[in-house]
Parts: sequence; structure tokens; C-alpha cells
Amino acid sequence: MADERKSLIKIKPKRYKDGEIVKVSFMVMHPMATGMGKDKKTKKIIPAKYINSVKFVYNGKEITNMNVWESLSVNPVFTIYMKVQGKGKLTVTYTDNTGEVHEKSKKIKPKG
Amino acid sequence: MQRRDFFKKLGSAAAVGAALPVMSFAANAPKPVSPNKMDYKTAIDTITGGKTPKKSSKVHLKVPEIAENGAVVPVTVEVDSPMTDSDYVKAIHVLSTKNSNARCIDVNLTPANGKAYFSTRVKLGGTQDVVGLVELSNGEFLIASQSVKVTIGGCG
Repeated sequence: MADERKSLIKIKPKRYKDGEIVKVSFMVMHPMATGMGKDKKTKKIIPAKYINSVKFVYNGKEITNMNVWESLSVNPVFTIYMKVQGKGKLTVTYTDNTGEVHEKSKKIKPKG
Repeated sequence: MQRRDFFKKLGSAAAVGAALPVMSFAANAPKPVSPNKMDYKTAIDTITGGKTPKKSSKVHLKVPEIAENGAVVPVTVEVDSPMTDSDYVKAIHVLSTKNSNARCIDVNLTPANGKAYFSTRVKLGGTQDVVGLVELSNGEFLIASQSVKVTIGGCG
């Protein structure tokens, strides 16, 4: 299934100044199957499919990277803080244990 | 002698008959095994490299005391740290004591974060402790833990 996964980057507060520390949350629609659960209808084990690693890159510089295991919830949320340093782009990439790669980016525009 | 042989054969046939259904049942439903099984103790040892983490009030772990649904348990870890180039939080690890894989997530932070904070949602298989293990830039380890009561397990 090569369907496009939905993901979202949220920044709080919406209006921010240069040098301010803002809250960044990345959400993605992902099954996060542990490989231990069973399908109730077919009674077969659902194969493991979970996110392995997440990277936050801001203006070409890696801010945060995460090693993830299967015990995170379905449709996980990753929330961190970030220091705004000028105009630029924030890119979040994740990789899957099945080799799936997804990328999402958001422009950073400080005001005032 | 003939009668004895007959009973011997009967007995062995019965034994095979009894063993068969058990085997076929086992073949149909193999026990699910976690892909990365890891104990809580070995997980802590692999992260710290043999060092003993210190209990500290600097680490603020926010977990609900009673979770109605173990599939979605919000976890927040916040650390009091200036986050300068010389003194910052290197990594935040979230662990659980009784899940088949104790490690949930490792977050490697940098001074560009500005604040040592991480929050997510985890699955818990039952009533257990959630542990926040923090690695500082000077190589020290701090720890904070809290027990969570789970009424419905989440690792399906």
C-alpha cells in the first residue's frame, strides 16, 4: 500500500518573533502495529509496522533525532521545543521498519 | 501374546491420536513474539553503560495516575536545564517496566531546542511504572518514575 500518509506540523504560538522558543508538534497517521496483535475477523497476526526514527531538520541543521520502538500509540505525536533563528524551513522526516519514508516541511516566518 | 500385542498397538494409537490435535492447534496459533524483546534492566544498562542513574527533582514526569485506556497514555518529560552549549540535556529516554519491549523512545536533543521538553503518547500492556531517563551533557544520568494504573491493556 503506497498511499500517502497524512501528517501535520503545528507550531504554538501561531505568531512568533525571531529568537523566541516555540512548541513544535509533529503528528502522523500511522498504524504502529507491534507484530503481536491479531485481526479479529481473520485471526491472523498483524505484521509489525512501526516508525523507526524521526528527524527534525531546521535550515539544514539537525535539531533533534529520535529512535522509536513499537510501544508508541497509534497515530503518534512528537512534541518538542525549538528556538526560532531567522526565516527558513523546518523539515520532519520519518522512516518505518518496512522502509517507508515520509517527509513534511513547514516554512518558518518570524514576525517583528 | 496376541492379545498383548493388540493392546500395545491400541495404546500407541491412542497416544498419537491424543498428541495430534494439540500439535495442529499449536501450528494454527503460534505465540506472537515481540520483534525487539527487551527487559527493563537490560534496557537501562544498554542506555547508561553500567552507570547508576540518580533520582532527581529536576526531572518532571507528567503521567496520569489512572489510565482508562492503555493504548493511549500521554507522557510528558520536562527537565530544568539552561540548554546552553556547555550545559544541556543530551537525551531523554521514555521506558516502561513491564512492556515486552521496555524502550519506548529515545530523543536526542541539541542546544538549538532552547528547552528540554518532550511529550508523546505510549501504549502500556498493564499496570506498571513509566520511567523518564535523562542524559546530561556532562555524562550524568537522572531518573524519575511514576506508576500508572491501567484498566484496559493496550498491546493488543
